[in-house]
Amino acid sequence: MSDLVIETTGLRKEFRSLRGELRVAVQGLDLAVPSGGGVHGFLGPNGSGKTTTIRMLLGLARPTRGTMRLFGQPVPAQLPQVIGRVGAVVESPKFSPNFSGRRNLQLLAGAIGAPTASVDAALETVKLTGREKDRYKSYSLGMKQRLAIAATLLKTPDLLILDEPTNGLDPAGIREIRETIRDLGASGVTVLLSSHILAEVQQVCTSATIIGNGKLLASGTVDELLGSGTAYRVVVPEPTAAADVLTRAGLAPSHVDGVLHVEAQRPAEITQILGESGIWLTELTPLRADLEAYFLQLTEAEELGHDTHDTTGAIA
Amino acid sequence: MSRLLRVELTRLLCRRAVLVILAVAVAIPTVIGVATVLNTRPPSDADLAYAEEQVAAESALPGVQRQLEKCLDNPERFLGRPVPDDVRAACEENYLPQPEWFVYWEQLSLAEERDNGSGLAVVIVLAILTMLAGTTFAGHDWASGSVSNQLLFEPRRPLVWAAKGAIVTGVAGLFSGFVVTAYWLLLGLVAGSRDIPTGDGLLLDCLQSGWRGAGVAAGAALAGFALTMLFRSTVAALGVLLAASVAGGIVLAVIGVDSVWNPGLNIGAVILDGAKYYADAPCPGNEEVGFCSVERTLPIGRALWFLGSGLVLFTVASLASFQRRDVP
Repeated sequence: MSDLVIETTGLRKEFRSLRGELRVAVQGLDLAVPSGGGVHGFLGPNGSGKTTTIRMLLGLARPTRGTMRLFGQPVPAQLPQVIGRVGAVVESPKFSPNFSGRRNLQLLAGAIGAPTASVDAALETVKLTGREKDRYKSYSLGMKQRLAIAATLLKTPDLLILDEPTNGLDPAGIREIRETIRDLGASGVTVLLSSHILAEVQQVCTSATIIGNGKLLASGTVDELLGSGTAYRVVVPEPTAAADVLTRAGLAPSHVDGVLHVEAQRPAEITQILGESGIWLTELTPLRADLEAYFLQLTEAEELGHDTHDTTGAIA
Repeated sequence: MSRLLRVELTRLLCRRAVLVILAVAVAIPTVIGVATVLNTRPPSDADLAYAEEQVAAESALPGVQRQLEKCLDNPERFLGRPVPDDVRAACEENYLPQPEWFVYWEQLSLAEERDNGSGLAVVIVLAILTMLAGTTFAGHDWASGSVSNQLLFEPRRPLVWAAKGAIVTGVAGLFSGFVVTAYWLLLGLVAGSRDIPTGDGLLLDCLQSGWRGAGVAAGAALAGFALTMLFRSTVAALGVLLAASVAGGIVLAVIGVDSVWNPGLNIGAVILDGAKYYADAPCPGNEEVGFCSVERTLPIGRALWFLGSGLVLFTVASLASFQRRDVP
């Protein structure tokens, strides 16, 4: 039994226009998302092939080449056997506009034999109770997104695939959805969160895969992607003395504009070393490289045609 | 599969456009039936009294009386040979106005309604409307994008297609069957109330013709559904159907193929259990003259084969397309 919930090997998708022009949306993508819960980011700029990859995984599009597995089962061949464990929202929510939110969920629940109680529970989870009898077309975008998430919960999934779930939401809606995603990840559900919003992935995800132009650029835990060590900005009354103490302790501080920049595994390490020497910190701030910088570095390099494939952080 | 059928039935019957189409499919046959009953109703006493008045008034006209006298004077010339025994009665019948000249009415005939009248019209209306229901049902799913959502819950595409198609066809067939049954039973009741004979299996023949028509309507619904699943748009499917019906007739006429390939004739043959048509054939015994128009009968079996083949073609193309193409 594979310990990966999602696994793709050499996945490729080509589209051909009516004039015969070939466009490659996904180019030999190897994607691996481990099981065991948590939120895995699927990061890439618009048009990088995220949605196409998701649509192929869910049987909505046929791959040109490559293999895909969900819960170790080859898809799309065995998709009917595993689809009951997969909840998904692909792009914008798609429901019958003239049916109520409740009716839409009832129809989907009916298709898999889910009880009516599961519809009520899902509506309650996404806080649509009270509006469930209104027509879907009268819903705000946020309500539509919440209804789409409710639809995924009808199955009590082990894997949740969410494609840009916060698109078009107001800040309160975004926070609500992110909290829901974090809670689901913490509850043991593995969530694949596709997004082009770097801050979102950094805030919500424990691991991530970055793609650009349909190719894998990097994959790993968020910390791995950002590098194992972290730099800190250290402000002390006597920077020279503090630098000597830190150097003797095996760290390598550097002076930048009157403050120290120090690489360390944990901030407590710096606090302890300086405290034991009687040097008290005025400020200790992480100088963490953020995902945005890393992402831009990868995708810009990819656009320039450089080989940026990062294997050090790959989890596959 | 039964779960999917239940879901698709709910989806179909909860769709407002489909409900409107079904309501229209009841309303139009009702109007046709009422019009048929009214147009064939016997004249009222008032109508007859009015006719008698007109007869009396016109009979008194000098010109009419002169014609009557001439007939009485020279019956051989005016009535021809042999001269009837009752010359006066014959001359009055021929040269005096008659009540039926002033009250036009056509007696209700179930056989006539079945073969050339309102029975055919009802079936054609039902076939068009159920086809529209089939296209709008499938087209709405594509337009709203909910097909992809449905496939996230049931990824076996042939099963989804079959469930939708079965519900569209079944509902169209049952609904049309109900409408035509009600139509013919009501016409039968009216005929009975007017002492018009409906025995010798005539009413049953009409009902059977209606049920075959309901089958045609079910097939039309399936064809509309299959085409919409193929083109993924109600407008595109209806456009193709319209273009095919207009251009198809023109092409058939231009290339001069036998009427036996005309879909309309084949539909008529299914409804009426065979249909007469005219074909060009060498004139018997006198080939030099050229071609003569010969009456032939298109049997129902051949019509079913022709229409069924077309339906199977649409269905297979639609199903294969749905199975293979990416779903937006």
